[in-house]
Amino acid sequence: MQNAKDSFYMALRTRLTAINPDRTILLRGAVRPGILVEEAEAPFSQTPNDVFVLRWLGLARDMNLATTMAAETCEVIYQTCGTQSFGGLDRGRALSEMDEELSAMLQLTYTAKMNYAATPPAAMLTQVFWDEPVFGPVVINRDRLSRSVSVMVYSYQEQGE
Amino acid sequence: MASTWFSAPAPVAQRVRAYFAPVNRVSQTPVLFDPSQQGQFNLDAPPSPWISLGWIQDFVRKPASKSSVLLAGIPASPLEQVRETLQAQVSFQFLSWTKLTMALATGSQHMNVLAAASGATLSADGAQAVPAVIPLSGSTGTSILLASSDAAKFSPGSIVAVDADYTGQTGFVGNPVGGAYVRQALTDVDYIRRVTFNVVLVAQVAPTGLTLAAPLPGGSPATGAKVQAVTGFVDREGGSFYQEWSALFAMQGSQGERIFFHYPRLQTMSGAEEAVNPLNAKNNNSQSRVLLKGQFLALPVSDSLDGERVVCYRSFLPAPNALV
Repeated sequence: MQNAKDSFYMALRTRLTAINPDRTILLRGAVRPGILVEEAEAPFSQTPNDVFVLRWLGLARDMNLATTMAAETCEVIYQTCGTQSFGGLDRGRALSEMDEELSAMLQLTYTAKMNYAATPPAAMLTQVFWDEPVFGPVVINRDRLSRSVSVMVYSYQEQGE
Repeated sequence: MASTWFSAPAPVAQRVRAYFAPVNRVSQTPVLFDPSQQGQFNLDAPPSPWISLGWIQDFVRKPASKSSVLLAGIPASPLEQVRETLQAQVSFQFLSWTKLTMALATGSQHMNVLAAASGATLSADGAQAVPAVIPLSGSTGTSILLASSDAAKFSPGSIVAVDADYTGQTGFVGNPVGGAYVRQALTDVDYIRRVTFNVVLVAQVAPTGLTLAAPLPGGSPATGAKVQAVTGFVDREGGSFYQEWSALFAMQGSQGERIFFHYPRLQTMSGAEEAVNPLNAKNNNSQSRVLLKGQFLALPVSDSLDGERVVCYRSFLPAPNALV
């Protein structure tokens, strides 16, 4: 299942780079696309603004099939205070922009499954696919707007995984 | 390590996509879909002459063929089966209202409401129309050249119908698709433009002519074709004409596999009907989406492979690396 999680993250990261190359984050001394996997980074006291954070939650498996299928819930969290140049008055627009970017990233609902533990990454036989996202309500915390979006991600467990 | 194959479970697909192509009503020739050559087509750009009608919902296939059992012996026991009737039905809902989806979802001919002439008598199909204008030579499927005085009669965002004058002929009329069957001579010179499928949106108007928002379904205006403004569409419950189209329904699986349902001849079998779906399922008084409901009867063709009469082909193109 790790391959499916990695493939999903890398697909979204690649798509975000094409959709909005300006959305970046300085992380561990490197400028990267503004999307990260929470469990693969050092714990942060507060979710960073203006980036997408993937958090893996539920897991279910269907073992009655010819190939076992896994279904994992991915929560995508993002928040913004708007920009300093507008004194934060554009925080609603900034959140809408992130809503649209996430929708665009998830629009094509599948990606090739890759093994990123190998060097170079190796293409596997199946594809990772997912449902349409479920957008949660906006949460307002003083000048910070945040949203959580839930996506069910499916994959088949291949031999050797 | 990954192996080079996997056992594919049943396909997982999200939606169904519909494509239609006109049957040549005069020669009764359907459009065939060849999975060996066309199976991997780009779902957003189907091969000609297939027209994408986008996603559909509530797609239901209903085989209605009946078999009976020949009994023999004492006590009687099944000797063999024979196919008594050959029939199938398809129903679904279109997610958009266009000229073609409306026509397919109505049981009869589908007409263009031509812009009415000033002071014309009221008519349920649209009144006597503003006279059509003649396109100039050099017109193409995306650009209609007109005299400046004629071009001034159109505006950007309007719809135009492009087809010939009606001159008293009987039989199927309309180019490139038979839009109606005329049983006895009529008097309306605009009749063919009322039923033609050769309609398109005007993107731009210049003194030299019209730039179209999409290609005309029939390509460059044919000799004798004229251009007339359209303000909407109308169809009727009743009449004797049945729409007949070739249909292709595609389901793309999560692993790249594809399922196609190809009906060479589909005829609309019910009158115009709509489904009203509230946008907010928790609030019955919310805004509602009005969907066109289509119900079709599949007609048989003779398969040139072995002469068998069939109504539908189901093709399956497996996922890459999947065991079969």
